[in-house]
Amino acid sequence: MSILQGRKFTWDKGVMLLLVVTAIVGSFVTPYFATSSNLSFVIQDIAEIMLIALPMTFLIIAGEIDLSVASALSLVSSTIGILFRHGWPFGWAIVVGLIVGALCGALNGFLVTILGLQSLAVTIGTLALFRGLCFVLLGNQPVNKLPTSWTNLGYNSIPHTFLPYSFILLVIFGALAWVLLHYTRLGRWTFAVGINVEAAKFSGIPVRRLKFALFTVTGLMSGIAGVVYTLRFASASPDSASGYELGVIAAVLFGGVSIAGGIGTLWGVLAAVLELGVIRSVLQLIDVSANALLIVSGALLLISVAVPRAIEILRNRRELITP
Amino acid sequence: MRALVDRVTAIREVPVFIALVLVVVVTGIANPQFLSASGAQDIFLGVAVVATLAVGQSVIIVMRHVDLSVGSTAGFAAYLIGNESARNHGLIYCLLVALALGLAVGAVNGLLVAYLKLPSLVVTLGSMYVVRGIFNQIAAGNTINDSQAPKFLGFVGRNSIAHIPDLFIFAAILAFIVSLIMHSARSARDLYAMGSNPPASALVGIPVARRTFFAFLASGAVSGIAGAVLLSRFHSADANSGLGLELNVIAACVVGGVAIAGGVGTPYGALIGALLLQSITLALGALGVSQFWQQAVNGTLLISAISLDRYLSSRIKPTTIMRVSS
Amino acid sequence: MQKKLIRATVALVAVIGLIGAAAPSQAAVSGIKGGLKIAIMPKQINNGYFTAWAKGGATACKEIGARCTYLGPTQATGAAQVQFINQIIQKKYKVLVISAADQNAIVPALNKARAAGITIVTSDADVDPSAAASRVTAVLPAESARIGTAEIDWIAAATGGKGKIAILSAAATAANQNAWIAAMGPYLTSKYPNMSWVGGTVDKSVFYGDDDATKSVAQFDAILSQYPDVAGIVAPTTVGVLAAAQEKKAKGASVKVTGLGLPSQMAPYIEDGTVEKVGLWNPIDLGYVAVYAGARAASGSFKGTVGSTFKAGKKTYKVTAGGVTYLGDPFTFDKSNIATFKKIY
Repeated sequence: MSILQGRKFTWDKGVMLLLVVTAIVGSFVTPYFATSSNLSFVIQDIAEIMLIALPMTFLIIAGEIDLSVASALSLVSSTIGILFRHGWPFGWAIVVGLIVGALCGALNGFLVTILGLQSLAVTIGTLALFRGLCFVLLGNQPVNKLPTSWTNLGYNSIPHTFLPYSFILLVIFGALAWVLLHYTRLGRWTFAVGINVEAAKFSGIPVRRLKFALFTVTGLMSGIAGVVYTLRFASASPDSASGYELGVIAAVLFGGVSIAGGIGTLWGVLAAVLELGVIRSVLQLIDVSANALLIVSGALLLISVAVPRAIEILRNRRELITP
Repeated sequence: MRALVDRVTAIREVPVFIALVLVVVVTGIANPQFLSASGAQDIFLGVAVVATLAVGQSVIIVMRHVDLSVGSTAGFAAYLIGNESARNHGLIYCLLVALALGLAVGAVNGLLVAYLKLPSLVVTLGSMYVVRGIFNQIAAGNTINDSQAPKFLGFVGRNSIAHIPDLFIFAAILAFIVSLIMHSARSARDLYAMGSNPPASALVGIPVARRTFFAFLASGAVSGIAGAVLLSRFHSADANSGLGLELNVIAACVVGGVAIAGGVGTPYGALIGALLLQSITLALGALGVSQFWQQAVNGTLLISAISLDRYLSSRIKPTTIMRVSS
Repeated sequence: MQKKLIRATVALVAVIGLIGAAAPSQAAVSGIKGGLKIAIMPKQINNGYFTAWAKGGATACKEIGARCTYLGPTQATGAAQVQFINQIIQKKYKVLVISAADQNAIVPALNKARAAGITIVTSDADVDPSAAASRVTAVLPAESARIGTAEIDWIAAATGGKGKIAILSAAATAANQNAWIAAMGPYLTSKYPNMSWVGGTVDKSVFYGDDDATKSVAQFDAILSQYPDVAGIVAPTTVGVLAAAQEKKAKGASVKVTGLGLPSQMAPYIEDGTVEKVGLWNPIDLGYVAVYAGARAASGSFKGTVGSTFKAGKKTYKVTAGGVTYLGDPFTFDKSNIATFKKIY
């Protein structure tokens, strides 16, 4: 009874398996991987990407994409920084920052749903706009000397555990996203829109409002990631998180979410983000160079789509042969 | 007369061209230096690499695909040309090496997208990382400098004919040739059909897989050639060459009328789009916009350009080959 | 009786321990423990300047019998470096010699490394002065003021002490460049009254090339386009000065160009007269001295306090205010010596 027959093989199961295998193999090939301090670091390392990957999953399943997330993250961080520099209490600066994040998402939502622009193209524009606004706010003066009571949350672990504080956010939002995508009407609508927009419209789903909401939430989560980033690095700089958007999208796609829309699972994405962090950690600990890591990331991405397809093709061949 | 105006404005690339003229004229009035021979040269020369890549990318986007690996491939090709030239290989050999690299990357992309039917965004994102990683590993900390690059490329990069830089003339000729092919060759016109309606195109007998494969092959070849343009323009190459070019190239295509949804647009439109984006960037400098505001303004203008294009195209017949005579 | 026995045992163990610690384990240089595990981390790995920097570090490592590793990110960002700092912590390195890609973002990670017992020395690029406690010392080429003023001297020599000048810098947030530029403004006004800034003030005359060849070339063109009468351009970054030289030659422009340039990269342009003179310190020295500083600190013989000294190879270096160790003024390269230096780095 081979893997080809029996239950349908989907990539999200593959990623989860890969995660387990990598973690086990990693613990054996290097003694430094399975330590609490290293695992704590891996979680911190992927926290921002995980937070943004959650709403990005919804977006891509619904057939859209958002390339401006890293710039939105940086803009929120810069907003917090500039307000703090002007004497605002840090907590209020964070609140305003989150509002800015939501506004970034809302702008994307407006451009895509009201003006009807293609999300791939227009978010290239907002990527530049948000990043540019970071420089307008901060110029070339990063903000440091943030209050330690806050930055400790960014860099320390929850007392008596090895888990960083950001873990709390990951658990809450991860669970929320999981339930929303797979157990609520909102999730079902998201899938429906991704599979066939016209049919979704005809069955009464408010497609425009749904997509607008998804973009806005993506902006808000980029903002939350921006807060985590600012605390972790105890500074706000206009060039933060450059290139993160491709990392988020790569992780979501690696998790089995189809770029064509309509297919994907949240646990696949969670496993994919974790897997990318784990693999990077293991490979770094066995002294694989940063250049080789790039090759591995690219190869993993290719494998993640090639393997399920190859299996599907083989299975179809078998079905054709066996009567 | 009315009919003539209608026909002209029906061409998808006209709004972009008008926008380009507007930007140049307005900036030229504010800062006459912008319109000088040297100012014009800056635009033409600055756009050469992106324009070359945009020509290749337009062929891909028309099919409703995307190729994110172009920047890394072009950078790697530039480095290889310099590397081989430094080892005293002839110019033709070096260029062939670059072409071979481009074709290899294009073939891998094409195989995965056309025959395994994998999504091009994922495949080319993956191949972008792989190519960049291999490139970094080979190049490490080395820099190819002017004396190592082929003399001919160095000359071409600095020469102009009638005040127009050689490199731009090359890009323009490339755009012209590819546009001609896209317009008249039956196999090329199939690409528009594939982008407009993928299931229907398969049903009417278009060999979709073969066309897709060759289109990626062509895009790869153009990326390899763009590497020569890159080396020629900057007289140097290192591990960071070509980094981040792909988003500029896609933006140039979109602004030039090559819609992401596929099925419309031409290579010469992509060329004009690249010119428009480059002139905006240089215009901001010429107008004295503060360094810290330039990227924000650039992003806003890009969004506006995309919106305008969408608005106008909804009122204009798209450029497809199936022109219905009225 | 028992107490006496315990005390004797403790004393004996202590003596053995002291002898064991005092006897250097194959120490090649006195005062430095042998076999130290040292990590040398640049801002980014695929960069010729840092390859030279690491070469100096490797030479020092061999002399002191340490085990060195050169590692770092492909992107010169603080966030990317932090990943590698964690790797250092996990693999229990003893010393970290690092060029800070971001003067603020890596500080929490450096503090964590320090808490794990790792000795930190910054070299080439330091952390923010407010975070000076996170490293033992910073090995920098020369005081920011001296690097900045030296470049003004070079451009003044090229333009004959008159005309307007502009600056083609790296990223807007690059701490090193910003510090050097800050010194340039007042110096120009006081020493060269016949020279001025294209934009009126130094702040309005800086163009950011982001250490990217494409952008630097575009910014050079932008300077000429906005200020056609510019007499000189100072590029305090190796990428920028190379781009400026190339573009000047391509356009046949008459503007004078100088800045911080790698002799191996700038050789063709000095030899054919496009550029009269550039300068740079020797990155090999930076790496070499930094490794010595870190190794001595990890061996307990150097604390990095202001005024203390340490020996690196044959020379002695002194720690100055802020915990910074300076190497000395930059070298200048022109037609007379470029042939020699272009082979070195």
